[in-house]
Amino acid sequence: MELLVDIFGYLSIILHGVTIIAQSMMLGGILFLVFLARPFTHLITQGDDLERRVTRLTLYSAIGLILAEMTGVGLQIAVVMSTVDLGFLDVMQAPFAIAGTVKMLCALLLIPCLGQRVATRSLAAVLPLLIGAAELTAATFTTHAYARLDDNVLLLFVEGLHQFGAAIWVGAIPCFVLALGRLHDAHSWRLVGARFSRMSMIGVTSIVISGAVMSFFYIGNWQGFYGTAYGVMVGAKIAMFLALLALGAGNLMVTERLRKNQDASVIRMRRFAEVEIGIGFTLFFAAASLTSVPPAVDLSTDRVTLHEIAVRNAPAWPRLTSPDHDKLAISQMQARLDTQAQQRGQVAAQANVPGSGVLPPRNADDIAWSEYNHHWAGIFVLLIGFLALLHRAGVGWLKHWPLLFLLMAGFLLVRSDPEVWPMGNEGFWVAWRDVEVTQHRFFVALIMLFGLFEWAVRTGRLRSAKAALVFPLLVSVGGAMLLTHNHQISNVKDQLLIELTHTPLALAGVSAGWARWLELRLPGRGGRIAGWVWPICFMLVGVILLWYREA
Amino acid sequence: MSLRHHFGTFLIAAACTVASLSASAHAILIDSTPKLNDTVSAGHVDMVFTYNSKIDQHRSRIVLVKEDKSETVLTIAANNTKPNELDTHADLTPGTYTIRWQALALDGHITRGDVPFTVTP
Ligand SMILES: [Cu+2]
Repeated sequence: MELLVDIFGYLSIILHGVTIIAQSMMLGGILFLVFLARPFTHLITQGDDLERRVTRLTLYSAIGLILAEMTGVGLQIAVVMSTVDLGFLDVMQAPFAIAGTVKMLCALLLIPCLGQRVATRSLAAVLPLLIGAAELTAATFTTHAYARLDDNVLLLFVEGLHQFGAAIWVGAIPCFVLALGRLHDAHSWRLVGARFSRMSMIGVTSIVISGAVMSFFYIGNWQGFYGTAYGVMVGAKIAMFLALLALGAGNLMVTERLRKNQDASVIRMRRFAEVEIGIGFTLFFAAASLTSVPPAVDLSTDRVTLHEIAVRNAPAWPRLTSPDHDKLAISQMQARLDTQAQQRGQVAAQANVPGSGVLPPRNADDIAWSEYNHHWAGIFVLLIGFLALLHRAGVGWLKHWPLLFLLMAGFLLVRSDPEVWPMGNEGFWVAWRDVEVTQHRFFVALIMLFGLFEWAVRTGRLRSAKAALVFPLLVSVGGAMLLTHNHQISNVKDQLLIELTHTPLALAGVSAGWARWLELRLPGRGGRIAGWVWPICFMLVGVILLWYREA
Repeated sequence: MSLRHHFGTFLIAAACTVASLSASAHAILIDSTPKLNDTVSAGHVDMVFTYNSKIDQHRSRIVLVKEDKSETVLTIAANNTKPNELDTHADLTPGTYTIRWQALALDGHITRGDVPFTVTP
């Protein structure tokens, strides 16, 4: 049971990400339904079918929101109750609990309002919109804006605008993909495409305006941007936002051609929209991890300077030999404890208790150990990218390149947590309680899984088109998870310097995954280009890993 | 051991994980009396912890940890005029102490931290 909860702790950011996704999809669904699907029901063929499907997707999102919110708020309530010794009813009156309850109630109320009976009445549009607005308002009360010392009203409004923008644009894209898949004639595509791009523009404008205001209030200046974890994560969000804009611009071109009755690739629009969903959801995870760090303006000390970044990232030869396991801080501590215990004739205590919340000690050899791991992982990934590129260029027998992933996973499993079995004293199972160990194992499992799937697909052992999609999906999930991954190092500055290399790593991973997705799904020139792009992204990941340093 | 007790430890483990997850989490301590590793003289000590965001004072907690690891929960004074502060006091004899604070920001984020200090005669 304790084990479950420890892993749950790690999941809290992920849970928050899921909540944001569900909320955006629910709100996006409402907006898509009210402003697109319903008005067009009688104008496009299969309009009824589309409306039904969009309604169903919105319902599922509402249910998802209820579940995610219930788990997240429930955990939080339990934690406050047990640590501050308060009763359930007392904690339920805390603002976050009230906001969470309102969000759940709104989602619950939405379900009957989308039903057949209400949908045909005159209130059909007003009710869901009102419920959506209430839910959005409640959601802003669990953002930084509500706890700020000044300008609360302005910031709450801006947060609301930001989430509204995310909902109408990113949250509604699943409905758009649904529509593109359902409709089959140029007339329908033209109508839907034009209306949806109008909606997206409203979304993009809301996001840009609110994002700018929030950056001004939360980041403040240029150093806050590159010198704090908050700023770096905002940077990652901006990068992904730009990628979304580029894909959106591609779709806008298709819509324009359709409008002028020219030949246009609707299939490209659909594939781009799929990738937009992926990147948009990754962006939501970045947003979730952003809520767990203090706004940059508040962090006046412990900022990283440009000089420190330059010193840390000065080119250096990768570390290809490992330090001695006995020299690591925990090993040495254990050795000391062992001799002390021997002198007293007792059984030695464990130097590090996994999951105790106490940060393990680190010395120069620990840093060297970690760098060695990152550098060898870099060599693996660089090689994988290179072999995939060669295979792409026509070297047939290199189709076995995904097997290298298994080798790399094995290396990481053994090396990444030296205090744990097989290298260290801690047992395999008890170590699950250490959040960082759990994260590492999660990544190892992910790498094995996508390596195996890709190998099976490349060698023809798995023939289904769906199986081929596992690799890009898991690669991009891995990239997204990397955005929520943090190393448990007590020094805030060191942690940030590590994050500065891990964030581009995550972005390159996400790009690789979605480029491969396009290669598989997009016929013609676009897919071929994507096929060259993703191995290069992999090689980039390798280079960044080889560049990685902790001191 | 009772089920209730088990449940308690299990939740505290959860809280630790949540807190340790975000080493530099949301509500940060921007000032305090006593300060980190400060020295104060024995007797009645007023303590103030100032944060970067508004704190739910009723649902936060300040624990005084003595040298022998024994813990005392200190009462937090309700202070509407200073929503980003946790105010408390204690009568202290010479020795080393640690204040272990846990703050619930109004937006629902929990943070915790330690402020060690020394009391001289
Ligand atoms: Cu790492």
